[in-house]
Amino acid sequence: MNLLIKLAARNLIGTGRRTWLNVIVLSFSFLIIIWHKGLLDGWDRQAKNETINWETGGGQYWQANYDPYDPFSLTEAHAKIPSEFDAPLSKGDVTSILITQGTIYPRGRIQSVLIKGINSNQTLLKIPSSLFLKSNDELPVLIGRNTANDNGLKEGDLITIRWRDVHGTFDATNMKVTGIFDTDVPSVDMGQVWVPLDHLQKMMGMPDEATIIVRNKSKEANINIDGWKFNSSEALLKPITDMIKMKSVSGMVLYIILLSLAMLAIFDTQILSIFRRQREIGTYIALGMTKSQVVVLFTIEGALISVLAGLLAALYGIPLLAMQARNGMSIPGGSKGFGLAVADKIYPFYSLELVVMTIIVIMITTTIVSYLPSRKIAKMKPTEALRGKLQ
Amino acid sequence: MENSKIISIEGLKKHFNMSGGKFTALNSIDLQITKGEFTGVVGPSGSGKTTLLNIIGSLDSPSEGKAIVLGQSIGELNVKQAAMLRRSKLGFIFQSYNLLPVYTVFENVEFPLLLLKLDDGERKKMVLESLEWLGLSDKIKSKPSQLSGGECQRVAIARAMVKRPEIVLADEPTANLDAANSHHILKTMLQLNNEFHTTFIFATHDDKVIGYLRRKISLVDGKVAKDEISNN
Repeated sequence: MNLLIKLAARNLIGTGRRTWLNVIVLSFSFLIIIWHKGLLDGWDRQAKNETINWETGGGQYWQANYDPYDPFSLTEAHAKIPSEFDAPLSKGDVTSILITQGTIYPRGRIQSVLIKGINSNQTLLKIPSSLFLKSNDELPVLIGRNTANDNGLKEGDLITIRWRDVHGTFDATNMKVTGIFDTDVPSVDMGQVWVPLDHLQKMMGMPDEATIIVRNKSKEANINIDGWKFNSSEALLKPITDMIKMKSVSGMVLYIILLSLAMLAIFDTQILSIFRRQREIGTYIALGMTKSQVVVLFTIEGALISVLAGLLAALYGIPLLAMQARNGMSIPGGSKGFGLAVADKIYPFYSLELVVMTIIVIMITTTIVSYLPSRKIAKMKPTEALRGKLQ
Repeated sequence: MENSKIISIEGLKKHFNMSGGKFTALNSIDLQITKGEFTGVVGPSGSGKTTLLNIIGSLDSPSEGKAIVLGQSIGELNVKQAAMLRRSKLGFIFQSYNLLPVYTVFENVEFPLLLLKLDDGERKKMVLESLEWLGLSDKIKSKPSQLSGGECQRVAIARAMVKRPEIVLADEPTANLDAANSHHILKTMLQLNNEFHTTFIFATHDDKVIGYLRRKISLVDGKVAKDEISNN
């Protein structure tokens, strides 16, 4: 086998331009597949990390009636914070959030919002709730950049908020925008206002109550608490995982097209080689090679194209991909509307597994594509091949 | 082994299936060839010369009869055994040289030794020696496309001789060469035959080659018409 690899390498290098054209085409495929998958992996990691840091933490306890997809259930989705959370709350291992529906009236328009109350001294989530403590405003409110932009709000603006308390009575007040935060997680920004938890509990008439309790990602979860349902981080991140999976599947179409183009070039070269190199094939046999050795030789020649393509792709691809992994790729502003965490820039992530798997898949495909036309050699008559007679 | 039979052919027939019937290329050939002969199978085109050479060279097999080459019955060899016979004991020279176009002269001559898995040092020594016999020492890095026809054929001879085969089969080796080059090549082969006692078997209808042969086996319509020893 070593001899055949050596001979195949010699033949390939000797062939020159034809080899390099195939190598270049295949190296593009290598690079684009790795780049695209790396981009999705990077997005996946970024989106999950940001969602954990801003929203889900290490999992959430939901009050039994809470259903984020059913806004009508919100009036029932609150309960006293169980005593099991007293110690973790004081240690900052969990943080409680009370959620209710409300309406704001920016620039004279009506805008439905979710009003979320969060502990002012929490550090578990990246919501900058500490701004409540620094503020002298009686009724401070935090909003995300997108909500601020959509409603023409800026720091210091007063907004009128209306809500229904625990008895179903409408109430309203003016609150001051104490801070505007930037986040890549739309689900803590779009159509949401954040207020101090104790204020919201008072406004709603729900002292010591919460809708969800977020726990620290590094702490063990006690999952059996009466009246509360624990949702693991994985379950909460499922929409992101599903979205990335869907994107990966659509990416497969791109890979298949790219690979098909590269494989077509290799297949074509192999067919042409066998057609043009009949005399050479006959000579190999006359000099003492078996037909099956010649088949293997031609197959290795094809397969080596993928090795050379891998090396070439590494040569120009590593600096390119590393540069993009460092500088990130800008994402169009409209992508915020996806409803999932999409940063302004996505930093591709190239894992060893991704690179190795891509190389293996391409090498196996190339070998198969090289082998298929090479089988024709086994049917050749050496005496005819020696004369270069078409068979 | 001198004067011992290295090729023994008895009742050899070779048929080819053609559209519209069977074509008999060789018909009841009986031959004995001994070691060190400088023999030619001569005859007009279509007389069966190349077919006979192909069978002796284990590139083809008899339809009937026996062809025993270096003690091995060609018709009974499997693919691997036939390849091994060609690899270790036989050398081939072709009308159109059949050099590997992307290899250098050195690599072309080295090729049979690679198949024999000789080590680097031994291979290099044998290739350089072979190229020196053929006067090609200054061409080792050239590609076949950079050589003249005569030089290409000398490379082909070097490739055939480098492993010191028992038998060299040369099919119309001078057909693409001018007279001067033909004589040069033939003298070289004769010299190698004298020096190494390698058996040379030609398939030819070229008078220049015929003039050098010590034995002429004339084929007509697939049959041995004449088998004569010359005074060369």
